[in-house]
Amino acid sequence: MPLELNETTATLSGVVTVDEVEPLAAWLRITDKPKVNLRRCNHLHTGALQALLLFQPRITSSPTDAFLATQVLPLLRGSSGGPVLPESEPP
Amino acid sequence: MNPLLAQFLAEAADLLTQVDEGLLQLERDPGDPELVNEVFRAAHTFKGSSGLFDFPELTRLTHAAEDLLDAVRGGRLALDSGMTDDLLAAFDLIRGWLAHVTAHEQLPASAGADAAGLITKLRAPLGGEPAAAADATPARSGASTIDAAPDWLDQFDAEWLEETASWLVTTSATMRFVRYTPDEGCFFRAEDPLHLISQVPALAKLGLVQPAAWPPPADFDEYQCLIGFVLATRAAVGELNYLFRYVPDQIETVELDGTAIRRHLAGEAPATPVEEQMAHVAEAVAGNLELARDAYDILAAAQRSLNVDTPSGPRLAAVAHSVSAAAAALGMPVEAGEPDLESLTARVSTLLDSAPPPPEEPVAPPPPPPMAAADRGRADDPGGQVGTRILKVDQEKVDHLMELVGELNVAKNGLTFLADAAEEEFGSRVLGRRIKDQYSGLHRIAEELQAAVMDVRMLPLSVAFSRFPRLIRDLSRRLGKSVELVTEGEDTMADKDVIEALGDPLVHLVRNSLDHGIEASPADRVAAGKPAAATVTLTAVADGDAVIVEIADDGRGIDPDKVKRKAYEKGLISEEELEAMGDTDAVDLVFRPGFSTADQVSDLSGRGVGMDAVRASVEKLGGTVTMRSQLGRGTSTRLRLPLSMAVTQVMVISVAGQRFGIPVDLVVETVRVHAAEIGRVLHQEVVVLRDEVVPVVDLARALDMPWTPDPAADRAILIVSLHGQRVGLLVEQFHREVDVILKPMEGLLAYADEFSGTALLGDGLVLLVLNMKEVLNLAARAQ
Amino acid sequence: MTEKRPKVLVVDDAATVRLYHTTLLTGAGFEVSEAANGLEAVEAALNTAFDLFVIDVNMPKMNGYTCVETLRSATVGTPAPIVMISTEDSRGDADRAYAAGANLYLVKPVDKDRLARVARMLTAGVAA
Repeated sequence: MPLELNETTATLSGVVTVDEVEPLAAWLRITDKPKVNLRRCNHLHTGALQALLLFQPRITSSPTDAFLATQVLPLLRGSSGGPVLPESEPP
Repeated sequence: MNPLLAQFLAEAADLLTQVDEGLLQLERDPGDPELVNEVFRAAHTFKGSSGLFDFPELTRLTHAAEDLLDAVRGGRLALDSGMTDDLLAAFDLIRGWLAHVTAHEQLPASAGADAAGLITKLRAPLGGEPAAAADATPARSGASTIDAAPDWLDQFDAEWLEETASWLVTTSATMRFVRYTPDEGCFFRAEDPLHLISQVPALAKLGLVQPAAWPPPADFDEYQCLIGFVLATRAAVGELNYLFRYVPDQIETVELDGTAIRRHLAGEAPATPVEEQMAHVAEAVAGNLELARDAYDILAAAQRSLNVDTPSGPRLAAVAHSVSAAAAALGMPVEAGEPDLESLTARVSTLLDSAPPPPEEPVAPPPPPPMAAADRGRADDPGGQVGTRILKVDQEKVDHLMELVGELNVAKNGLTFLADAAEEEFGSRVLGRRIKDQYSGLHRIAEELQAAVMDVRMLPLSVAFSRFPRLIRDLSRRLGKSVELVTEGEDTMADKDVIEALGDPLVHLVRNSLDHGIEASPADRVAAGKPAAATVTLTAVADGDAVIVEIADDGRGIDPDKVKRKAYEKGLISEEELEAMGDTDAVDLVFRPGFSTADQVSDLSGRGVGMDAVRASVEKLGGTVTMRSQLGRGTSTRLRLPLSMAVTQVMVISVAGQRFGIPVDLVVETVRVHAAEIGRVLHQEVVVLRDEVVPVVDLARALDMPWTPDPAADRAILIVSLHGQRVGLLVEQFHREVDVILKPMEGLLAYADEFSGTALLGDGLVLLVLNMKEVLNLAARAQ
Repeated sequence: MTEKRPKVLVVDDAATVRLYHTTLLTGAGFEVSEAANGLEAVEAALNTAFDLFVIDVNMPKMNGYTCVETLRSATVGTPAPIVMISTEDSRGDADRAYAAGANLYLVKPVDKDRLARVARMLTAGVAA
């Protein structure tokens, strides 16, 4: 199962495909202070990344996958000098 | 599809056929310079046109083939069969690519790899790959130029950019920066941008392009891609183009060095409206630059014209004209008047000196096909088409015409009833007569129209024969046999459907001839007193409304005894049959399912398809297959097919839950009457329509089908007209009218005269079409 | 829009290339006619005064060079500018084109903006 949804934690593992995007987004929409575990995730579909960006859950553990860890995780953490967040868009 | 690409594909098909035919002829007649020239020209034209599209592999491969042909044309190389093989293989590959382009508007992903080996082979006789000559189009050499930093560089972390710039300056290196703006609906096309990005080689940095505003979570559509990416990589532009080849329009790539990045960081390209204005100015300047370069080129060309020769008359006037035009474009107009050679030469020198060659601009990407332009401007083009006089028409359009002819026929038939009504209901004989006159005029036109449309659908048999020279060449080489092909009657015409349907059976028969019919080696033939080279003859002749196609070989023929024995061993015939069967019937055994004359299934004739399949497919077209063979002398197989398989329009009705078709030509009208309105005259049920007594035939009873009409319901009666007689058919239900291709009855129903044929309906059901005459006979007998 | 549009004759044996050039030049405001080989081109030029010719080098029946020579000969004698388009980027071929009477030699594939620019420049006196 690439997607395991608990009360407050979603565990993403293996290859997360477009099929997992909808349940993940639905879960994020209704979950208060969601947490996401990416440790065993090998690939994140763009749609899943987008949902994580919008709902900003806490990422509880870093992926072991090199591409996700070095390139994608910083995007999710926004703080580590990543992209400009929508709020800080210049007027 | 963009019309230019469509034009290219249509033209390409012709050119490739020319190349193929020419190559095969050349192999037989290697010295013919005109033939070499033709093949070369076709290849050359093809290459020229392919260059208009972004199909680099196609152009490269054609270029290699063209170079080889050019060497042959120039007498530097003698064409051998190895080279012919490579050339044919190259054009085969191209043909496959074009099929892919037709479906997907792009080359298959494997094109580069597939072409590489062939290009090497084609270039080998010429001494190997030239120094990138194939890629010498000037437009493509600009890979190493440094672009201006785009504003989206801001999406990267500034600190990282600073560090990267320093490193690039220190090492005098460059990096490729990509902006990837996925289409909003890309998830629906199974695209996953992040997956693509994860495959970027040597990815240095990934940045995110967020939407200007995220939607509120409640409105968030998770299947709409709102984000984009920027990335920096050390991968080459070629690698990036390859990786992103399916989304080229969503990708923007720039190559930057440290200086360009620093300039960007220093704020030299602020992303404000001012910058847009700047961009316009820059564009205008660039336009001027290009203009200046063009003018310079024209002047340089004028100078060369004056140097290579001393032009006079119209040539001199033309040079003077182009010099004035260039000078005017440079803003240095020269006085008009007829200059002499000397003053013109001087003027050109002055102009060239005062207008130094503009620097080579950052080279433009290869010209994309002019999609937008190609979509407009044709209709109002008054330019006389001096060129083509043959129209290429989409098959669908011809089919549509055929449908319209059918509708016209039905509408036309309505006139006869109108004529009757005029006479009977309105009592105007004169009007009735005049309507009938109109009808017969219309009828003649409709028939001619139908014949004309049928004629458009006719193709010469040469279309079906065209693939055989190649097939026979390849097969005979593989089998080590020597075979000549003779074709006769290629001009015989038949309907395109017949021609198309002929293809597979013919290929099978020809393969069979080569594989089994012809002796195993030329030596065997010589030993049998025959010429070493075998002959396969393909003949077509028209025979009334049929076309006869015969495939004959002068091979070893079929041994009837051997065939009989084999059939007996396989349990296809009984022992008595084995004893009693004549030679002709014995030969016919090869058409029995489960029969194969070869002891083992050969790789040529393929598996699972035997002569029985050939007979089945020909009979499905309403044709017949017969085979004659003389032991030691050869075998000939004769296919007889209808000349056309035009559509028949039938009205579908059902009775007892079963659907039947009735040719629309016979149908007068459909009526619904109360059960009580059906009366009886003697033993015959009748209905009175407009004062006419029309006999009613219960179709279910005539066909011996169990059905009793619901007593409360109206009766559905189909009025048909047969030999001027009107008859009503009691049916259960009317359905629509359909166009079908009528096939003769076969198998168990072959003797059921009440059906004229079967037709396959769009929903896969087989429709039995009634033979009205026999149905009425049956009904009469059932009384 | 009844202003006079410059007349250009596009000569190429490849229908695709003709369509490309015709579309491009029609869009650039030209009145375009087509010819599929040198003979047709000469025939067309005998009947119409073109303001510009765009001619392919390699064609059957009559090649581009002969076509240009004939257009410049006393029989036709057109003084209109001629752009020759070739697949060969060679100095020798260019010189042959100039000697025949061409005024510009371009190598395929020709950038579409460039062809339109050059065509406009060379017919600047004609366009309204």
